[in-house]
Amino acid sequence: MGSRQITEKSLSMLRSLPRISLGNIRDNPNCKKNPKRGRAQHGGDKHGAGNKGSGQRQNFMRLGYETGNNPFYLRVPQEHYYRGQHLRREYPPLSLHQLQNMIDKDRLDVNQPIDIASIVRSGIYNFFPDLKQFGVNLTDEGADIFVAKVNIEVQWASEQVIAAIEKNGGVITTAYYDPHSLLLLKNPKKFFESGQAIPRRMIPPPDAIEFYTSAKTRGYLADPEEISKERLKLSQKYGYSLPNIEKESNYEMLCEKKDPRQIFYGLEPGWVVNLKDECILKPKDQELLQFYNS
Amino acid sequence: MTAGVRHNVSFETNNIVLIALVAILYSLFKMATVWRSQCAFARLFAGKTGQILNNATDLGTKLGPGSQSAILAKKYSNYAHSPFVTKIKEQYDYEIVKNPPEWGYVQRLLPFDTIPAVTPKDSYPSGWVPPKEEAKTLPFFLCRTRNHEIPIYLQITYRGIRKITKIKRIEGDIWLLNDEIKSYLKEKNNRYVETRVQEVGRFIEVKGDYVNQLVDWAHSKGF
Repeated sequence: MGSRQITEKSLSMLRSLPRISLGNIRDNPNCKKNPKRGRAQHGGDKHGAGNKGSGQRQNFMRLGYETGNNPFYLRVPQEHYYRGQHLRREYPPLSLHQLQNMIDKDRLDVNQPIDIASIVRSGIYNFFPDLKQFGVNLTDEGADIFVAKVNIEVQWASEQVIAAIEKNGGVITTAYYDPHSLLLLKNPKKFFESGQAIPRRMIPPPDAIEFYTSAKTRGYLADPEEISKERLKLSQKYGYSLPNIEKESNYEMLCEKKDPRQIFYGLEPGWVVNLKDECILKPKDQELLQFYNS
Repeated sequence: MTAGVRHNVSFETNNIVLIALVAILYSLFKMATVWRSQCAFARLFAGKTGQILNNATDLGTKLGPGSQSAILAKKYSNYAHSPFVTKIKEQYDYEIVKNPPEWGYVQRLLPFDTIPAVTPKDSYPSGWVPPKEEAKTLPFFLCRTRNHEIPIYLQITYRGIRKITKIKRIEGDIWLLNDEIKSYLKEKNNRYVETRVQEVGRFIEVKGDYVNQLVDWAHSKGF
């Protein structure tokens, strides 16, 4: 039998045999094992553990223990920088300059009400609801150059931003969305394709209720009359004449608002949107209607 | 004797009826506990509830008796190996609206197919400048990014010590472009400005932060 045959035979054997693993490995046949442990220079050494003490006995002290000293981790007073961090809501910023830039580049349609869905749709702003990001914080950078007249709904806005938008005859609302609603708003197409009914929007958590019911911050749960008073007050504070939006041609668009339970403009909770057949399934059952209207 | 037998028989039938009732009640109770312990909408998606939003309800369908207890009784390691849910009956009334008037609201939510081209306007308050036609006659070209912005970036490394202005997406005679940039920056800043041309990667690196000046230069050239 030539060596070539031997190779092929052993290769075919290898193919049929199971893979070598720790489970089936064993010594070579007739290998000699030394039954005794050597006590010579290296065979009988301390095995790297040293002589005497916790090193040799492998009984190490607990972490941070300084053999009786006041340990470092107790010597320094604690400062809880991140206390409650896991409960805080984050609002990733979007400046008025960026907003104007989106409008200039036709990423946002000023003739429609702007909400977080349309801001994310522009492809320039993004956020992650699973990282406790609760929507847009509209910041005042570029407030001087902002000229667009918009009906915008954001999640957080400062007084300057509200003034900058209302000065141009626009309308701003701050609205709360729970993380699940934000997931739908971030990618509505994916949600419609999942074939689920549009859920209701949840109410804000206790620590956010004050912000979203206040007329000063233009909360979506605030009294509209209070808001119109505050609009006038703010215009007097910042020294601009408040444009009368009732006389505007697009007054209806500027007044368009979502229901506090509504997630998408014009689409009610409980509806199922079928993108393939371009139809909407609306519930008729009394039980369902009651559930989604509550 | 006969009376006793009769009595016995009736007792047995009674017993059977009772047992059956208890069994039905028990099964109903068990179903109820299963529904309560799982979320209400978990009926269809047994073992796959992670995909369901917790404020969504799946009330569109209801399972017949005996369909879900068999599914929930056993935990499957793999969703793909779990059997399909059977005996589903539609319970709730709904109407299908074809060509609904609200379809415009849906279309408004769907993403752009492509990035929209910018329509010409009288002014752009944000400071964005549209590219000009005359730039195409130059021997070199600076292509806009997909967001219609000029591809000039600042790269900060070594904790802010090294600042490099990178001009990307350049085409044509890039060595001539390099000379022009160098002379422009030298004139503006009264100092020699170091540049590096990457022919293969098609970018020029300028040592120092000259982003605003170079963007202004690109606008003046019409890129």
